Amino acid sequence: MPGETTSPAGGKGERNDTLRPITIKQALEATQPFPEANYQIDSHDLGSVVFVGQLRNISRQSTNVTYKLDDGTGEIEAKQWVTPGTEDSMDTADDLAPAANGVEINGYAKVFGKLKSLYGDRKVVTTHSVKPITDINELHCHFLEAAAIHLFFTRGPPPSAGGGGGAKDAAMGGVGAGGYGGETGGGHLPAMSPVARRMYNLLKNKPQTNEGLAAQQIAAELGLPMADVARAGDELLTAGVIFSTVDEQTWALLEY
Amino acid sequence: MSLQTPRVLPSHLHAFNPSTAGPRSPPPVRLLGTVTALRGDTATITCGTHGEVTLILKPDSHLQMGKLVEVVGKVAEVDGGLGIKVLATVDWGNPADCDYKIYEKLVDVTHRLKPLFYDSVE
Repeated sequence: MPGETTSPAGGKGERNDTLRPITIKQALEATQPFPEANYQIDSHDLGSVVFVGQLRNISRQSTNVTYKLDDGTGEIEAKQWVTPGTEDSMDTADDLAPAANGVEINGYAKVFGKLKSLYGDRKVVTTHSVKPITDINELHCHFLEAAAIHLFFTRGPPPSAGGGGGAKDAAMGGVGAGGYGGETGGGHLPAMSPVARRMYNLLKNKPQTNEGLAAQQIAAELGLPMADVARAGDELLTAGVIFSTVDEQTWALLEY
Repeated sequence: MSLQTPRVLPSHLHAFNPSTAGPRSPPPVRLLGTVTALRGDTATITCGTHGEVTLILKPDSHLQMGKLVEVVGKVAEVDGGLGIKVLATVDWGNPADCDYKIYEKLVDVTHRLKPLFYDSVE
Protein backbone atom coordinates (compact mmCIF):
# COMPACT_ATOMS: atom_id res chain seq x y z
CA MET A 1 0.00 0.00 0.00
CA PRO A 2 1.41 3.40 -0.90
CA GLY A 3 2.24 5.80 1.88
CA GLU A 4 1.56 3.28 4.58
CA THR A 5 3.88 3.09 7.54
CA THR A 6 6.35 0.25 7.19
CA SER A 7 4.93 -3.10 8.08
CA PRO A 8 5.95 -3.86 11.63
CA ALA A 9 5.39 -7.56 11.18
CA GLY A 10 8.00 -7.68 8.44
CA GLY A 11 10.80 -8.84 10.70
CA LYS A 12 8.91 -11.61 12.34
CA GLY A 13 7.47 -13.15 9.22
CA GLU A 14 4.62 -14.64 11.22
CA ARG A 15 1.21 -14.54 9.69
CA ASN A 16 -1.58 -13.36 11.90
CA ASP A 17 -4.82 -13.54 9.98
CA THR A 18 -7.06 -12.90 12.93
CA LEU A 19 -9.88 -10.39 13.04
CA ARG A 20 -10.58 -9.10 16.50
CA PRO A 21 -13.59 -7.02 17.52
CA ILE A 22 -12.45 -4.16 19.76
CA THR A 23 -13.63 -0.90 21.26
CA ILE A 24 -11.91 2.36 20.39
CA LYS A 25 -10.65 2.63 23.97
CA GLN A 26 -8.87 -0.68 23.52
CA ALA A 27 -7.31 0.55 20.30
CA LEU A 28 -6.09 3.73 21.99
CA GLU A 29 -4.61 1.76 24.87
CA ALA A 30 -3.01 -0.96 22.73
CA THR A 31 0.68 -1.32 23.48
CA GLN A 32 3.75 -2.25 21.50
CA PRO A 33 6.33 -4.49 23.17
CA PHE A 34 8.98 -2.51 21.27
CA PRO A 35 8.84 0.24 18.63
CA GLU A 36 7.68 -0.94 15.21
CA ALA A 37 6.31 -4.15 16.71
CA ASN A 38 2.77 -5.34 16.32
CA TYR A 39 0.27 -3.71 18.61
CA GLN A 40 -1.02 -5.87 21.42
CA ILE A 41 -4.24 -5.90 23.41
CA ASP A 42 -4.43 -8.10 26.51
CA SER A 43 -0.87 -9.26 25.64
CA HIS A 44 -2.02 -10.74 22.35
CA ASP A 45 -0.79 -9.59 18.96
CA LEU A 46 -3.38 -7.90 16.83
CA GLY A 47 -4.00 -8.99 13.30
CA SER A 48 -6.86 -7.12 11.76
CA VAL A 49 -9.36 -5.36 13.94
CA VAL A 50 -12.99 -4.43 13.53
CA PHE A 51 -14.67 -1.65 15.45
CA VAL A 52 -17.78 0.49 15.28
CA GLY A 53 -18.30 4.17 15.79
CA GLN A 54 -20.25 7.26 15.02
CA LEU A 55 -18.70 9.27 12.21
CA ARG A 56 -17.66 12.66 13.53
CA ASN A 57 -15.80 13.83 10.47
CA ILE A 58 -15.02 12.69 6.97
CA SER A 59 -12.17 14.36 5.16
CA ARG A 60 -11.48 13.45 1.59
CA GLN A 61 -8.02 13.97 0.21
CA SER A 62 -6.53 13.00 -3.10
CA THR A 63 -4.79 9.93 -1.72
CA ASN A 64 -7.01 8.93 1.15
CA VAL A 65 -10.24 9.46 3.03
CA THR A 66 -9.93 10.03 6.75
CA TYR A 67 -12.83 9.19 9.02
CA LYS A 68 -13.01 10.27 12.63
CA LEU A 69 -15.00 7.82 14.69
CA ASP A 70 -16.41 7.91 18.21
CA ASP A 71 -18.00 4.88 19.84
CA GLY A 72 -18.58 6.38 23.27
CA THR A 73 -15.32 4.94 24.64
CA GLY A 74 -12.95 7.15 22.69
CA GLU A 75 -12.12 8.70 19.36
CA ILE A 76 -9.83 7.44 16.64
CA GLU A 77 -9.12 8.16 12.99
CA ALA A 78 -9.41 5.63 10.23
CA LYS A 79 -7.66 6.14 6.91
CA GLN A 80 -8.82 4.54 3.74
CA TRP A 81 -6.29 4.80 0.95
CA VAL A 82 -7.64 5.62 -2.44
CA THR A 83 -5.73 3.31 -4.71
CA PRO A 84 -5.03 4.80 -8.10
CA GLY A 85 -5.52 1.38 -9.63
CA THR A 86 -9.25 1.45 -9.07
CA GLU A 87 -9.68 4.68 -10.98
CA ASP A 88 -9.63 2.91 -14.29
CA SER A 89 -12.46 0.61 -13.40
CA MET A 90 -14.55 3.38 -11.88
CA ASP A 91 -16.56 5.92 -13.78
CA THR A 92 -15.67 8.89 -11.61
CA ALA A 93 -12.23 9.17 -10.12
CA ASP A 94 -13.25 11.96 -7.76
CA ASP A 95 -15.67 10.12 -5.55
CA LEU A 96 -14.44 6.58 -5.32
CA ALA A 97 -15.78 3.84 -3.10
CA PRO A 98 -15.68 5.92 0.11
CA ALA A 99 -18.30 8.28 -1.24
CA ALA A 100 -20.47 5.49 -2.47
CA ASN A 101 -20.28 3.39 0.66
CA GLY A 102 -23.30 5.10 2.18
CA VAL A 103 -21.76 6.40 5.37
CA GLU A 104 -22.66 9.87 6.59
CA ILE A 105 -21.69 12.25 9.36
CA ASN A 106 -23.17 11.25 12.73
CA GLY A 107 -24.24 7.90 11.34
CA TYR A 108 -22.72 4.70 12.70
CA ALA A 109 -20.21 2.72 10.72
CA LYS A 110 -18.30 -0.51 11.04
CA VAL A 111 -14.63 -0.34 10.17
CA PHE A 112 -12.30 -3.19 9.28
CA GLY A 113 -8.58 -2.52 9.26
CA LYS A 114 -5.22 -2.66 10.94
CA LEU A 115 -3.98 -0.56 13.83
CA LYS A 116 -0.89 1.50 12.94
CA SER A 117 1.14 4.18 14.62
CA LEU A 118 1.33 7.55 12.97
CA TYR A 119 4.00 10.11 13.86
CA GLY A 120 5.09 8.15 16.89
CA ASP A 121 2.42 8.33 19.52
CA ARG A 122 -0.72 8.79 17.47
CA LYS A 123 -2.67 5.77 16.40
CA VAL A 124 -4.62 5.37 13.22
CA VAL A 125 -6.48 2.48 11.67
CA THR A 126 -5.73 1.85 8.03
CA THR A 127 -8.92 0.46 6.70
CA HIS A 128 -10.11 -1.20 3.55
CA SER A 129 -13.79 -1.25 4.43
CA VAL A 130 -16.09 1.28 6.08
CA LYS A 131 -19.73 0.27 6.06
CA PRO A 132 -22.79 1.94 7.53
CA ILE A 133 -24.62 0.21 10.38
CA THR A 134 -28.37 0.32 10.01
CA ASP A 135 -29.39 -2.18 12.68
CA ILE A 136 -28.78 -1.00 16.24
CA ASN A 137 -28.55 -4.62 17.44
CA GLU A 138 -25.42 -5.04 15.34
CA LEU A 139 -23.89 -2.14 17.21
CA HIS A 140 -24.70 -3.57 20.63
CA CYS A 141 -23.67 -7.03 19.58
CA HIS A 142 -20.28 -5.75 18.51
CA PHE A 143 -19.52 -4.41 21.98
CA LEU A 144 -20.59 -7.67 23.57
CA GLU A 145 -18.33 -9.57 21.16
CA ALA A 146 -15.44 -7.31 22.06
CA ALA A 147 -16.14 -7.98 25.73
CA ALA A 148 -16.32 -11.75 25.17
CA ILE A 149 -12.98 -11.78 23.34
CA HIS A 150 -11.38 -9.64 26.04
CA LEU A 151 -12.59 -12.05 28.70
CA PHE A 152 -11.33 -15.02 26.71
CA PHE A 153 -7.83 -13.58 26.54
CA THR A 154 -7.67 -12.38 30.13
CA ARG A 155 -9.57 -15.08 32.00
CA GLY A 156 -9.60 -18.06 29.67
CA PRO A 157 -12.57 -19.82 28.08
CA PRO A 158 -15.93 -19.54 29.84
CA PRO A 159 -16.63 -22.27 32.43
CA SER A 160 -19.44 -23.85 30.43
CA ALA A 161 -17.12 -24.32 27.48
CA GLY A 162 -14.17 -24.95 29.81
CA GLY A 163 -14.39 -28.71 29.43
CA GLY A 164 -13.98 -28.59 25.69
CA GLY A 165 -11.45 -25.80 25.80
CA GLY A 166 -9.46 -27.36 28.58
CA ALA A 167 -9.34 -30.74 26.90
CA LYS A 168 -8.24 -29.15 23.67
CA ASP A 169 -5.56 -27.17 25.45
CA ALA A 170 -4.26 -30.30 27.07
CA ALA A 171 -4.21 -32.05 23.72
CA MET A 172 -2.38 -29.14 22.18
CA GLY A 173 0.16 -29.36 24.95
CA GLY A 174 0.90 -32.92 23.96
CA VAL A 175 -0.85 -34.44 26.98
CA GLY A 176 -3.56 -36.11 24.98
CA ALA A 177 -3.94 -38.99 27.39
CA GLY A 178 -5.01 -36.70 30.18
CA GLY A 179 -7.36 -34.79 27.96
CA TYR A 180 -10.29 -35.13 30.23
CA GLY A 181 -8.18 -33.98 33.13
CA GLY A 182 -8.37 -30.55 31.63
CA GLU A 183 -11.90 -30.28 32.78
CA THR A 184 -11.46 -31.41 36.35
CA GLY A 185 -10.59 -28.60 38.66
CA GLY A 186 -12.19 -26.13 36.32
CA GLY A 187 -14.82 -25.72 38.98
CA HIS A 188 -12.64 -24.27 41.72
CA LEU A 189 -9.91 -22.81 39.53
CA PRO A 190 -9.60 -19.05 39.54
CA ALA A 191 -9.92 -17.20 36.26
CA MET A 192 -6.70 -17.39 34.28
CA SER A 193 -5.25 -16.78 30.86
CA PRO A 194 -5.25 -19.58 28.29
CA VAL A 195 -1.47 -20.02 28.61
CA ALA A 196 -1.70 -20.35 32.38
CA ARG A 197 -4.49 -22.85 31.97
CA ARG A 198 -2.40 -24.97 29.60
CA MET A 199 0.48 -24.86 32.04
CA TYR A 200 -1.82 -25.87 34.87
CA ASN A 201 -3.09 -28.81 32.84
CA LEU A 202 0.46 -29.88 32.01
CA LEU A 203 1.52 -29.78 35.65
CA LYS A 204 -1.61 -31.70 36.54
CA ASN A 205 -1.28 -34.44 33.94
CA LYS A 206 2.42 -34.97 33.29
CA PRO A 207 4.08 -37.65 35.37
CA GLN A 208 6.72 -35.92 37.50
CA THR A 209 8.71 -36.14 40.71
CA ASN A 210 7.69 -34.15 43.73
CA GLU A 211 10.07 -31.47 42.51
CA GLY A 212 7.59 -30.61 39.81
CA LEU A 213 8.60 -29.29 36.40
CA ALA A 214 11.26 -26.77 35.42
CA ALA A 215 10.30 -23.77 33.35
CA GLN A 216 12.49 -24.97 30.44
CA GLN A 217 10.71 -28.31 30.43
CA ILE A 218 7.31 -26.60 30.45
CA ALA A 219 8.37 -24.31 27.61
CA ALA A 220 9.47 -27.30 25.55
CA GLU A 221 6.34 -29.32 26.29
CA LEU A 222 3.96 -26.49 25.46
CA GLY A 223 6.05 -25.08 22.62
CA LEU A 224 6.04 -21.64 24.18
CA PRO A 225 8.71 -18.98 24.62
CA MET A 226 10.24 -18.77 28.10
CA ALA A 227 8.81 -15.30 28.63
CA ASP A 228 5.27 -16.63 28.27
CA VAL A 229 5.99 -19.51 30.62
CA ALA A 230 7.44 -17.12 33.19
CA ARG A 231 4.38 -14.90 32.93
CA ALA A 232 2.00 -17.85 33.24
CA GLY A 233 4.06 -19.10 36.19
CA ASP A 234 3.70 -15.76 37.93
CA GLU A 235 -0.01 -15.84 37.28
CA LEU A 236 -0.41 -19.32 38.75
CA LEU A 237 1.82 -18.44 41.72
CA THR A 238 -0.26 -15.36 42.42
CA ALA A 239 -3.41 -17.44 42.16
CA GLY A 240 -1.90 -19.83 44.68
CA VAL A 241 -2.38 -23.00 42.64
CA ILE A 242 1.35 -23.81 42.20
CA PHE A 243 4.46 -23.32 44.31
CA SER A 244 8.16 -23.18 43.51
CA THR A 245 10.22 -26.16 44.64
CA VAL A 246 14.03 -26.58 44.19
CA ASP A 247 14.46 -23.13 42.67
CA GLU A 248 12.32 -20.24 41.52
CA GLN A 249 12.00 -21.68 38.02
CA THR A 250 10.64 -25.06 39.05
CA TRP A 251 7.03 -25.41 39.97
CA ALA A 252 4.71 -28.09 41.28
CA LEU A 253 0.99 -28.13 41.68
CA LEU A 254 -0.33 -27.18 45.07
CA GLU A 255 -2.76 -30.02 45.68
CA TYR A 256 -5.59 -29.45 48.06
CA MET B 1 -8.39 11.88 28.71
CA SER B 2 -10.31 11.10 25.62
CA LEU B 3 -13.93 11.98 25.18
CA GLN B 4 -16.17 9.30 26.57
CA THR B 5 -19.93 9.00 26.71
CA PRO B 6 -20.96 6.00 28.81
CA ARG B 7 -24.10 4.12 27.84
CA VAL B 8 -26.58 4.10 30.71
CA LEU B 9 -30.10 3.25 31.81
CA PRO B 10 -32.35 5.72 33.64
CA SER B 11 -31.39 4.23 37.02
CA HIS B 12 -27.75 5.26 36.47
CA LEU B 13 -28.44 8.94 35.87
CA HIS B 14 -27.82 9.91 39.50
CA ALA B 15 -24.17 8.86 39.14
CA PHE B 16 -23.70 11.48 36.44
CA ASN B 17 -25.55 14.30 38.15
CA PRO B 18 -23.21 17.31 38.01
CA SER B 19 -24.55 18.82 41.25
CA THR B 20 -23.69 15.74 43.31
CA ALA B 21 -20.80 14.23 41.37
CA GLY B 22 -18.09 16.21 43.14
CA PRO B 23 -15.54 18.61 41.74
CA ARG B 24 -15.01 16.91 38.38
CA SER B 25 -17.72 17.46 35.85
CA PRO B 26 -19.20 14.07 34.87
CA PRO B 27 -19.09 13.05 31.22
CA PRO B 28 -22.13 13.18 28.97
CA VAL B 29 -24.10 9.94 28.79
CA ARG B 30 -25.79 7.93 26.08
CA LEU B 31 -29.32 6.75 26.55
CA LEU B 32 -31.58 4.71 24.30
CA GLY B 33 -35.34 5.06 24.29
CA THR B 34 -38.56 5.54 22.38
CA VAL B 35 -39.99 9.04 22.01
CA THR B 36 -43.33 9.00 23.84
CA ALA B 37 -44.06 12.71 24.28
CA LEU B 38 -43.03 15.91 22.53
CA ARG B 39 -43.67 19.26 24.20
CA GLY B 40 -41.83 21.90 22.22
CA ASP B 41 -38.54 22.33 24.03
CA THR B 42 -38.82 19.16 26.09
CA ALA B 43 -39.61 15.57 25.24
CA THR B 44 -39.99 12.25 27.03
CA ILE B 45 -38.39 8.97 26.05
CA THR B 46 -39.31 5.59 27.45
CA CYS B 47 -36.36 3.28 28.04
CA GLY B 48 -37.71 -0.22 27.68
CA THR B 49 -39.09 -1.30 31.06
CA HIS B 50 -36.84 1.14 32.91
CA GLY B 51 -39.16 4.12 32.95
CA GLU B 52 -39.18 7.51 31.35
CA VAL B 53 -36.62 10.25 31.06
CA THR B 54 -37.30 13.89 30.29
CA LEU B 55 -35.14 15.49 27.63
CA ILE B 56 -34.35 19.17 27.33
CA LEU B 57 -34.12 19.62 23.60
CA LYS B 58 -31.88 21.83 21.53
CA PRO B 59 -33.53 24.13 18.98
CA ASP B 60 -32.18 21.94 16.20
CA SER B 61 -33.18 18.60 17.73
CA HIS B 62 -35.54 16.78 15.43
CA LEU B 63 -37.32 14.02 17.30
CA GLN B 64 -40.27 12.12 15.96
CA MET B 65 -42.97 10.46 18.03
CA GLY B 66 -42.69 6.71 18.32
CA LYS B 67 -39.14 6.50 16.97
CA LEU B 68 -36.23 4.89 18.76
CA VAL B 69 -33.54 7.44 19.52
CA GLU B 70 -30.08 7.34 20.99
CA VAL B 71 -29.50 10.49 22.99
CA VAL B 72 -26.13 11.94 23.94
CA GLY B 73 -26.44 14.57 26.62
CA LYS B 74 -25.58 15.92 30.04
CA VAL B 75 -27.55 14.91 33.09
CA ALA B 76 -29.51 17.89 34.42
CA GLU B 77 -32.20 18.48 37.02
CA VAL B 78 -35.65 18.78 35.53
CA ASP B 79 -38.74 19.46 37.65
CA GLY B 80 -37.05 18.07 40.74
CA GLY B 81 -36.05 14.87 38.97
CA LEU B 82 -33.18 14.00 36.68
CA GLY B 83 -33.33 14.49 32.96
CA ILE B 84 -30.98 14.93 30.03
CA LYS B 85 -29.89 18.14 28.37
CA VAL B 86 -29.56 16.95 24.82
CA LEU B 87 -26.32 17.44 22.89
CA ALA B 88 -27.09 15.13 19.98
CA THR B 89 -29.60 12.51 18.95
CA VAL B 90 -29.47 9.64 16.49
CA ASP B 91 -32.66 8.27 15.01
CA TRP B 92 -32.75 4.47 14.93
CA GLY B 93 -36.19 4.11 13.39
CA ASN B 94 -38.72 1.56 14.55
CA PRO B 95 -38.30 0.53 18.22
CA ALA B 96 -39.53 -2.96 17.31
CA ASP B 97 -36.29 -3.51 15.37
CA CYS B 98 -34.22 -3.16 18.52
CA ASP B 99 -33.93 -5.84 21.16
CA TYR B 100 -33.76 -3.69 24.29
CA LYS B 101 -32.54 -6.67 26.29
CA ILE B 102 -29.27 -6.61 24.32
CA TYR B 103 -28.87 -2.98 25.28
CA GLU B 104 -29.51 -3.79 28.95
CA LYS B 105 -26.83 -6.48 28.82
CA LEU B 106 -24.48 -4.11 27.05
CA VAL B 107 -24.91 -1.43 29.73
CA ASP B 108 -24.28 -4.06 32.37
CA VAL B 109 -21.12 -5.28 30.64
CA THR B 110 -19.77 -1.78 30.03
CA HIS B 111 -19.95 -1.06 33.74
CA ARG B 112 -18.29 -4.32 34.69
CA LEU B 113 -15.43 -4.16 32.21
CA LYS B 114 -13.96 -0.70 32.70
CA PRO B 115 -10.73 -1.51 30.82
CA LEU B 116 -12.71 -2.06 27.65
CA PHE B 117 -15.15 0.75 27.78
CA TYR B 118 -14.76 3.67 30.13
CA ASP B 119 -12.31 5.27 32.51
CA SER B 120 -13.77 5.49 35.98
CA VAL B 121 -17.14 7.08 35.61
CA GLU B 122 -18.55 6.99 39.09
